[in-house]
Amino acid sequence: MKCLSIEQIYLYIEKELSLSESKIIEKHLATCRKCKSALEERRPLLQASASLPLWQAPPDFAQQVMARIFPIRVPLSSWLTAAYAGLGSISLAIFILFLVTGQNFSTLLTGLNHSLWNLVRNLSPVFVKLFKVASLFVRTLQQFFEYIVKALASLTAIVSPQVQIIIITIAIVLIAFSIYGIKRKILIGEKA
Amino acid sequence: MSSMDEDKELVARSIKGDKEAFEMIIQKYQQPLLNYIGRTVGERELALDFTQEVFIRTYSSLHSYKPQYKFSTWLFKIASNFIIDYWRKKKIDAFSLDHQERDNDLPPLQVPDKELPIVKKLEFSELKGRIEQALEKIPAPLREVFVWRHINEFSYEEMAEIKGLPVGTIKNRVFQARELIRKRLEEMV
Repeated sequence: MKCLSIEQIYLYIEKELSLSESKIIEKHLATCRKCKSALEERRPLLQASASLPLWQAPPDFAQQVMARIFPIRVPLSSWLTAAYAGLGSISLAIFILFLVTGQNFSTLLTGLNHSLWNLVRNLSPVFVKLFKVASLFVRTLQQFFEYIVKALASLTAIVSPQVQIIIITIAIVLIAFSIYGIKRKILIGEKA
Repeated sequence: MSSMDEDKELVARSIKGDKEAFEMIIQKYQQPLLNYIGRTVGERELALDFTQEVFIRTYSSLHSYKPQYKFSTWLFKIASNFIIDYWRKKKIDAFSLDHQERDNDLPPLQVPDKELPIVKKLEFSELKGRIEQALEKIPAPLREVFVWRHINEFSYEEMAEIKGLPVGTIKNRVFQARELIRKRLEEMV
């Protein structure tokens, strides 16, 4: 009998062959060292492959999936209750204001409207200025980080990893000294 | 009641709106599915996300399940298609082995005249660790069948049904996967 194929060896180890086929293979293995060695090499491979550690799912995995399939919906009655509560509160507030000020409903609403409008008119320039300052700050910060990223990218492209480590270490030391220096200067200034 | 009958009953109850029945399906298959997807994609968080997605897809297509087929086979078919979509998006060559002629292009599986004893020399626990590493370095379609055979313990016939390929092609892929893993172990030593 000619030598076995890898396929026959695997099927023999897995006991996927018929009894007669297995007997023929066993007969060959008894006389052929090359095929026996190939079989001995592959048997532990299959045993180890079948006992690889298993990944465990988190204990609440099934509940997580169920929550995605059936998301909890707030019933309509809850929304209606909230709306009634809101409407009731507004009515009560208006009624209390009416009792305190003694003004009728339309005068009360007009007064409230005027006060709100004045508040918006006074605060809007402040908000615009705050927004401008914030956007300028964000843009400057963005540009600063872009420069840093570009610098790091060109550094990694040009310089070897060892030199990169040295440059980064020097930079960190310089920054630390600068912070320390500024702090000391402030302290001296405070003493003076 | 056999596992197959139990699955069919759970599916029928889920279709009728029994949430508890589908939760039982998830509990039964979460670990085999996570292990297949996890070993195939290699990242735990991604695998957990994908496993969730597969269960959601399964639930939404429960009505198209035909009870004459095994439920686990149908579930893994959905998972396999999901993984193929992922490979396609990541531009991983997932299809090079999907053609019969490409399978035939693979080198013949014959015992070489001289072979270094690699596996025999390794301790069992070390061998398992190395196999895990080597598994990540073999082509995705071979990795898939290797995981099905050794971790999910599917028969060659079940794998052929999932992939819609002849049993011989699947066997050939499994043997190729093992031989490639052995080759990677050889490279590691």
